[in-house]
Amino acid sequence: MTAVRPGTQSAARAGMRPGLRTALYGLVGVAVLLLIAELIGQFGLLGTTWPPLTSVFAFLADPANHTLLGNALSTTVTEAAVGGLIGIAAGVGFALLASLVPVLAPGLDRFAAVIDAVPAVALAPFLILILGREGTPVLVVALSTTFIIYISMSSGLATAARPYHDLLAVLGARRGTRLRLVDVPAALPKLFDGLALAAPAMILGATIGEWFGARRGLGVLFISAMQNYRIDLLWAAAVLSVLCSLVLYGAAVVAQRAIARRFA
Amino acid sequence: MPSRDIALLDVAKTYPLKRGAALAALDGISLDIANGEFVALLGPSGCGKSTVLRIVAGLEEPTSGSVSVGGASPQALSRAHRLGVAFQEHSLLPWLTVRQNIALPYSVAGRKIDGAHIQDLIELVGLVGFEDARPKQLSGGMRQRASIARALVLEPEVLLLDEPFGALDAVTRRRMNRELGRIWAELRITTLLVTHDVDEAVLLADRVVVMTGRPGRVRHIEDIDLPLREHSELTRTPEFHDIVDRLTGLLDATKDA
Ligand SMILES: Nc1ncnc2c1ncn2[C@@H]1O[C@H](COP(=O)(O)OP(=O)(O)O)[C@@H](O)[C@H]1O
Ligand SMILES: [Mg+2]
Repeated sequence: MTAVRPGTQSAARAGMRPGLRTALYGLVGVAVLLLIAELIGQFGLLGTTWPPLTSVFAFLADPANHTLLGNALSTTVTEAAVGGLIGIAAGVGFALLASLVPVLAPGLDRFAAVIDAVPAVALAPFLILILGREGTPVLVVALSTTFIIYISMSSGLATAARPYHDLLAVLGARRGTRLRLVDVPAALPKLFDGLALAAPAMILGATIGEWFGARRGLGVLFISAMQNYRIDLLWAAAVLSVLCSLVLYGAAVVAQRAIARRFA
Repeated sequence: MPSRDIALLDVAKTYPLKRGAALAALDGISLDIANGEFVALLGPSGCGKSTVLRIVAGLEEPTSGSVSVGGASPQALSRAHRLGVAFQEHSLLPWLTVRQNIALPYSVAGRKIDGAHIQDLIELVGLVGFEDARPKQLSGGMRQRASIARALVLEPEVLLLDEPFGALDAVTRRRMNRELGRIWAELRITTLLVTHDVDEAVLLADRVVVMTGRPGRVRHIEDIDLPLREHSELTRTPEFHDIVDRLTGLLDATKDA
């Protein structure tokens, strides 16, 4: 093992520098964008609906607003988490089902595509009828997550190379055993790719779901801030929802990297 | 130790290629391997050695002719978890450690993992200290040794080895040959070894089958009567070198053909 270590280390060192440089460029780009946004706000270049970012952050930092923002945030995050977990379980479950019972696969594929093609706005009246106003955000999140996870898990389950299938065949493995021992572990990198895609969609889905009459949440804040012309509040809600998406996405990407290193 | 015989009767294999073309890989292979016999399959690369092994393993169906293992289909043997195969590509699962890879056949067969037995095999193939390493961290030769240990772990009734020492340097290769010979003399499992190394074939096998170039046919079968597995010092005798020279000549002739 020691014989292999130096090679791995030098590879890591060689990969470190371009990685750092990319991160640096990224940071500079973000800083420039933030600066431009701030200047547009300071000089009122796009009218009164574009405030300076510093005033948005001041609003976010003001303890007087923390209860309002905190309640909305925790509602939306909870919906995203519950809907996300349901979606992940359903997506993985359907993908496993399609793999174990191949006759079901074309039907499941088409069903998933149809569900995804119908916009949440069109489904909303039905969802509200079925689940009520509070359940709708969870269902919107669950639907979009199910689709993304189903697609990524299905394609992941097909990635295991032929020699591994040959091996399991000569060992006398049944379909289910092969799925558990080879296909599922080999699918994990693709599944986590899907999770990184689904993470921001979870926050987005919860926010949009709240537009159909929910009583709490970031989506509700958006609507009421717009109706009452509370520009600071509107922007504060937007910043929170973006930060949430970014944090979830970042966590998913970190997990994806670790999984890919181990399983691919 | 229970074991099985292998019977190939007039086996031909044609692979379909693009646009209706076909590749004749094997033609009229007949070969009987007795219960507890060690047969080496020798031939130039591309002559269909791996194809023979994959047919015996039940991974390919012969285009014509028949194959049986212990009087039944090859698949029946694998379904009973009584077949051990070390592939040309090691096919160790990259997310498992060496120990977990060697334990895999237990999980597939739904049997309790025998840690002590696995440790014995790890010692046998010289991977002590690498039990918890992942395949990526091993050299090609170490991976092949792990895959041999995995093939042996359930004490199979038929053992199929496809160039198992191909990635080893000459010295390690001979050491592994002697080790395999020693293990085999104890277990006496019906074994088919595919190789292009003449010394290795003569050293290990009871019979050496020399194949022709593509499409592969049986060109010559040599009975090896020297007790080389038990007495590897006999490789220094003229008898050994006679056989090796003769078989090498046959191999060269197939290459020219
Ligand atoms: N699945 C396949 N499809 C098409 N051709 C194949 C396939 N497998 C092997 N072949 C061809 O059959 C011939 C024999 O292959 P193989 O049995 O692997 O030879 P060897 O192991 O003796 O090198 C080769 O020409 C190879 O390209
Ligand atoms: Mg081969």
